[in-house]
Amino acid sequence: MNSFHGNKINPTRIHRSQLKYYLFLIALSAFMLLPIVFMFSQALKPINELFLYPPRFFVENPTLKNFLDLFNVTSVTVIPMTRFLFNSVVVTGCVVFLSITISAMAGFALSKLQFKSKKLIFEANVIALMFVPAAIAIPRYFIVDTLGLTDNLLGHIIPILAMPVGLFLIKQFVDQIPNELIQSASIDGATNFMIFRKIIIPVIMPAMATVAILAFQMAWNNTETSEIYMNNETLRTFAFYMTTLTGNLENRVAGQGIAAAAALIMFVPNLIIFIFMQSRVIDTMAHSGLK
Amino acid sequence: MLLRLIRKRREMFTGYLFVLPWIIGFLLFMAYPIYFSLNMSFNRVLITSEGINTTFVAWDNFKYAFLSDPQYVEELVVFIQQVVFIIPIVVIFSMLVALLINQPIRFKGLFRGIFFLPVVITSGEVVKELFSQGATSIPIVERYGIVQFLEANFSSTWSEPIITVIQQLIIILWYSGVQILIFLAGLQKVNSQIYEAASIDGASPWEIFWKITLPSIKPFILVNIVYTTVDLFTNALNGVIGLIKEHMFKLNTGFGYATALAWIYFAIIFVILLLVVLIFSRNEDYNPRKAGR
Repeated sequence: MNSFHGNKINPTRIHRSQLKYYLFLIALSAFMLLPIVFMFSQALKPINELFLYPPRFFVENPTLKNFLDLFNVTSVTVIPMTRFLFNSVVVTGCVVFLSITISAMAGFALSKLQFKSKKLIFEANVIALMFVPAAIAIPRYFIVDTLGLTDNLLGHIIPILAMPVGLFLIKQFVDQIPNELIQSASIDGATNFMIFRKIIIPVIMPAMATVAILAFQMAWNNTETSEIYMNNETLRTFAFYMTTLTGNLENRVAGQGIAAAAALIMFVPNLIIFIFMQSRVIDTMAHSGLK
Repeated sequence: MLLRLIRKRREMFTGYLFVLPWIIGFLLFMAYPIYFSLNMSFNRVLITSEGINTTFVAWDNFKYAFLSDPQYVEELVVFIQQVVFIIPIVVIFSMLVALLINQPIRFKGLFRGIFFLPVVITSGEVVKELFSQGATSIPIVERYGIVQFLEANFSSTWSEPIITVIQQLIIILWYSGVQILIFLAGLQKVNSQIYEAASIDGASPWEIFWKITLPSIKPFILVNIVYTTVDLFTNALNGVIGLIKEHMFKLNTGFGYATALAWIYFAIIFVILLLVVLIFSRNEDYNPRKAGR
């Protein structure tokens, strides 16, 4: 296994001949970051700047008025905003933890244990990766309904636990762990469960970080389950709440600012998780090579 | 002999035990719904308050999609044209960026992080919000008349694709995040001694790129084409998926028709991927994983 950081060849000083690389990279990075800067500046724009034509990219007189407006709108609704936030935090936490565990266990078994039809399982998974997600929403509803998960917080969690991408990434990563490592452990008397806990989990930490980030994305931004499975308002998630809030206000002039502020509030947790996990995630991608 | 048999049994048992939670979830919430939708695509489905009514119509939904639907085929053709155009751009672009980042420069990690960032942006509501706020176009392009300049100086067959690419540059950049990392992983696996040997033998950087770098990252080009195709096709923002969603709750066409559209779409993705894999996996004479170590 070639370590991604194995050969530290980064020079300590910038040489003049490298300036051209920086020029390219910095220009491209600026493009990459542009939308995020735009989001922040849009949320801080006062109303007259939001409707300027031609639109300005950067905010000129930043104000927190949009956030205050957002707060005012949310404080008059019947159900307090914290309730939705609580739902989202619980749901996202459970989904991230459980889906990592399930994918890691399955990935380990499919990669390192011998049993029948494991190839078939993996192929089914790859096909599921390609399928249009929208087309299975309705059949899923029937299953959720029969299981009695409608109007139940579990209805947000259970349907999205089996993540095809998660299993795919983790299995690719476990494939790179040498078999000798596992054999030697089992000769020393380790059971498969012990191998999983003591060897596999520590080694695939980066892959699990990637899956965690993807699962977080999926659960935190999920509005579909609130929309389809939940009739009880108090069980809906924060993401759904935000979309209804901005959806109703979009047509009003004042709504534009509130929508921008809401979008920023929805986005910030994503960014924070990303910054915390990114170095590990990137390592995974480099290791797994997605082959 | 018997002992070995028992061990084998036990391993199979624990194997199934480990996959079991995943299999249950997969069967209930992926496999069965997919099977169900296949079934429904041959039916006319009416969802009423009492439940669903289905009538078997054989291939009618599929026939309707190709022969009578005013939108679907058109939308599909436009989308496939776009995809055929965007895939090479994304792949070439991400290769260039990966080559740049792979140079011995400082702040590698920072640049890698920035180029991976789209993974956070392009999922979920955020990207929809960005689209509606107009953050995905580049204001500078319109303001400084780059478009007019191109239109004036090139014939329309050349200027049009260039303009679309420039206007969609941010989108293309966003769809290159994972691909850049995959290429980087590939580049890291090439043994640096090969480069040294080549440059000692007097090869120019240009020759090194064509003769060493490109052949050794060829498998990763395939991976990236496949990844980009799947990524573009299953993106919730594309027109065809929008159309499928729209039909889902329409009364006159309904869920059955929507699933038929989804299955046609799935079949097309499948065929495209199959073609890509067939073309690229031929004459696989250079294997960097063997030669590189």
